[in-house]
Amino acid sequence: MTTFLALAILLSGAAPAGLCEAPPEYYKIDLVPTRRVPAARQATGAAHLTYTESPFGISVSPAGHYRYDVEVVVENLRPAPAGVYVAWLSTPNLKEVVRLGPLTDAIRGRTEWNKFLVIITLESSARANQSRWQGPVVMRGLSRSGLMHTMAGHGPYEQEPCTVYGYY
Amino acid sequence: MPATAADTLVWRMPPMDMSMPMMPGLEDAVPPALPALPDQQAMGIPVARPSEVVSLADGDTLHLEATLIRRQLGGRPFVMYGYNQQYPGPLISVTRAATVVVVFKNELEEPTTVHWHGLRLDNRFDGVAGLTQAPVAQGESFTYEVFFPDTGIYWYHPHMREDMQQDLGLYGNMLVHSEREGYYSTVNLEEVLVLDDLLIDSHGLIPWGQTSPTHALMGRFGNVMLTNGVTDYSLAAAPGTVARFYLTNVANARTFNITFGGAPIKVVASDVSKFEREVFVESVPVAPAERYVVEVHFEHPGEYAITNAVQAINHFRGEFYPHVDTLGMISVAGAPAAPDYGEDFRVPRTNTDVIADVDSVRGFFDRPPDKELSLTVRVTNLPVPIMMAMEADTLYVPPMEWNDAMPMMNWLSTGSQVTWIMRDAATGKENMDIRWDFALGDIVKVRIFNDPKSFHPMNHPIHVHGQRFLVLEMDGRRNTNLVWKDTAVLPVGSTMDLLIEMSNPGDWMAHCHIAEHLSAGMMLGFTVHRAPPSKGSSGD
Ligand SMILES: [Cu+2]
Repeated sequence: MTTFLALAILLSGAAPAGLCEAPPEYYKIDLVPTRRVPAARQATGAAHLTYTESPFGISVSPAGHYRYDVEVVVENLRPAPAGVYVAWLSTPNLKEVVRLGPLTDAIRGRTEWNKFLVIITLESSARANQSRWQGPVVMRGLSRSGLMHTMAGHGPYEQEPCTVYGYY
Repeated sequence: MPATAADTLVWRMPPMDMSMPMMPGLEDAVPPALPALPDQQAMGIPVARPSEVVSLADGDTLHLEATLIRRQLGGRPFVMYGYNQQYPGPLISVTRAATVVVVFKNELEEPTTVHWHGLRLDNRFDGVAGLTQAPVAQGESFTYEVFFPDTGIYWYHPHMREDMQQDLGLYGNMLVHSEREGYYSTVNLEEVLVLDDLLIDSHGLIPWGQTSPTHALMGRFGNVMLTNGVTDYSLAAAPGTVARFYLTNVANARTFNITFGGAPIKVVASDVSKFEREVFVESVPVAPAERYVVEVHFEHPGEYAITNAVQAINHFRGEFYPHVDTLGMISVAGAPAAPDYGEDFRVPRTNTDVIADVDSVRGFFDRPPDKELSLTVRVTNLPVPIMMAMEADTLYVPPMEWNDAMPMMNWLSTGSQVTWIMRDAATGKENMDIRWDFALGDIVKVRIFNDPKSFHPMNHPIHVHGQRFLVLEMDGRRNTNLVWKDTAVLPVGSTMDLLIEMSNPGDWMAHCHIAEHLSAGMMLGFTVHRAPPSKGSSGD
């Protein structure tokens, strides 16, 4: 009975309420482990995006960026011998970083970046004022928009030189 | 040199707002349809004038005529379409619960009808060609009895070849006033804003497809923005003005994201009612056929630009880029506005009347969906390079198509190659093979899923005729501030639950309001039957 209860709490922590019924599959970001932290090698996870609440159904900034609530859910991540797992959002070039917080239950945050990374790192402490990660990257995922790539040099534009468009 | 008819009535690659090389193999391709355009050299065409307000009382009659008109856009002459020689068509101003008679006459060569968008009126006057009436041929008339059961901003437009007729200027608003004092907050000024775009190059209007629309994939995006039918809309206001704007998006395909030069915006109402609660927003996304009523506070003197600000996509480069269209200018200057409604503006209202109205259906919120639809697309015979590029590209498709990111490919696709589909999950039936039956008074939950795994998914503004609905949920998240609507936009990959109140008997349609998607099949039919006499309760 006690085991069942503990499991139920764990599961409810892992599965965010409201997202399970109709998950927006298309905007789910799969998190993939790196090999750097042994305790994390079997971990699976995802960041779920939903539009932040808005009277318009869709939610966009005044400049037209989509506004998403991001919910990070990780499973099978064994406790590390030392340190704390922390979730982050970052622009693809890593210039801008937002700390979502230590990975206890479900992690919630917001973003309006066009393309972004979701990163889980192993930090020595849960210091909230940390502006960037210092520990190893444990898991990472890319927003689906990050899959959008130049057509130069590909498909019907095979003959188009990438360099002309700033790609090398 | 003025363009000649011969110059303009040929296919020309539409102008693009980005640098993108011509797709190899498509350099000389044109849409597989004949080009069509009103004769730009026609003689004796009347010069159109700006929209005029026509105030009508219950029982009054309006004569409405669709004709060719002459217009100036950016200093250049065009022959377009208009209602009563106005752009937009006359603004019909009425009090709620009125019924007016509109004697419509078609003086255009092509058949047309008038649909009264958002009104829960008598089915016979819904204006849907082939469903509620025969098309009105040139020289013929049709008399509509137009009933206004709900306060708010509505619009009228043809329900035939909207991609061309509406784009050429056949649209107008209906402003329905409440019979109650204080329905809205008191403001210093009210303005109706009709948002549109038009596709023009140096030769003139880019032709439309004669028998089938071009731009069947993403819809026809214009490159010239029109506010109330002009490219240089302006408004003057006193400092401190609280203005109420009634926004309508009449564009074929474009969703706008409206700001007012950074002035604070409070959203008050949408299609068919006020919101349960007013809320402050930073911008107002408006999909085709949607309406929003917003109040804006221009506290300080200055120039406020009405803009459409989006993150456009350059598919060739695989990048987002910010794009801003200026839709108009509001000059705030002079003596302060009197009275000063600034304090009232800062306090968002809770609309107990709307909450009470929604309460009548709240018991239905948690029921399972009665109907489920998925939205997808089927294509045949598109040029091979387009197929290749599209398929390679669908790893990511933006939730909303804010710009025409593939102008060449989009232009080349016509309704004869592209079928946009609404599919009934229960029966597998598609589009007009779907004929749902409901009884008057039914409260129906319809779940709609915009399938991202299709050849080229896109957002769809879904319009339900003759009824009103609530958007209960988006992607499993309950909407906590409800408003009665007739059109709601569904982004790619998303799911929304609509709760439709079947309050109006007749044969109706639900469809995507992107004009080209509608022409490409994206519609279904449903009948609301007058309830059979109930046993025992009403037999006396
Ligand atoms: Cu559509």
